[in-house]
Amino acid sequence: MLVIGIDGATWDIIKPNLDELPTFRKLMESCSQKTIHLKDKPWSASVWCSMFSGLSPNEHQHYDFVKDGELVERKDLNLDFIWDKLDQKGISVKAINIPFIVPPYNYKVNFIPPGEGVPISEQELVDEINSVTEKTLEILKENPELVITCYTALDKLSHHHWGEPIMLDYYKRIDESLSKLVELDDQLIIISDHGFCNYDKAPIQTLPRKTKTGKIIKGDHHPEAILITKNIDFDIKQPEDVFRFLAKKYEVK
Amino acid sequence: MPKRKHTTVSIPIIMYKKIEKMIQDTGFSSVSEWVSYVLREVLVNMKKEKRKDAKVSEEDEKKIKDRLRALGYL
Repeated sequence: MLVIGIDGATWDIIKPNLDELPTFRKLMESCSQKTIHLKDKPWSASVWCSMFSGLSPNEHQHYDFVKDGELVERKDLNLDFIWDKLDQKGISVKAINIPFIVPPYNYKVNFIPPGEGVPISEQELVDEINSVTEKTLEILKENPELVITCYTALDKLSHHHWGEPIMLDYYKRIDESLSKLVELDDQLIIISDHGFCNYDKAPIQTLPRKTKTGKIIKGDHHPEAILITKNIDFDIKQPEDVFRFLAKKYEVK
Repeated sequence: MPKRKHTTVSIPIIMYKKIEKMIQDTGFSSVSEWVSYVLREVLVNMKKEKRKDAKVSEEDEKKIKDRLRALGYL
């Protein structure tokens, strides 16, 4: 079972560009796909936490990467994620670069993300996409029951470059990476934590117009996330449903 | 109206009296001043302890926060 998270991925770029995104096109033709309309704030730390803990933001109370001036770490969150529950049952599971905290979290994987886990420069973004793909391929060879892997590059790029042609270049890079992964498992979930849109069109403003470093924010998080599934007999309506599906599949509570 | 800088917490009267006696001739002008001093020390030590367990070094934490600021997260 393979779960691929793509932070900030939106149909608004994928669907009009399927001619240039052959893996997405193939997935759209051969798999189920839908839009997740987030009922809670489209905010990465909180959404990824919900997705893999099965708890709503109100229940897990994890909202930000930084709390009281300190980076939030895994040990600060008093909850079990799906990998903890599966491991307790002796089911092999690995997780790579899961961005509910920064640097993103790894479970039973040694992975050092580029850019301290918050890649911003083009080189760091490319490095992240390539290194996550390589590490995922390496892990898949070990044949664990469940692999969860996440890319954060599209989200980071969208903050500063939404609306620019460079966005499509990076969707193409993700598309190429997906081409190496999606055929390697019969059961697949590809999901984003939220979409993205023009800053002025965001139904919920989550970012400042101008950062404290003086950068203009061009895109903001949008509460419509993408979902593509292959051989998943479960109705995933909200991020928490990914946990619920996995818990049901592996018979954990 | 100026913003309040202090608030009240309760401690047992017996403890208050012990502290009051203990801080005589120590330079602390009140129990409140002494309690604030002790709690500040405790908080600093707790922060140091937390840092010891932290997976991210102080230097990396600063870099990460700078990056989060650049993206508008902070």
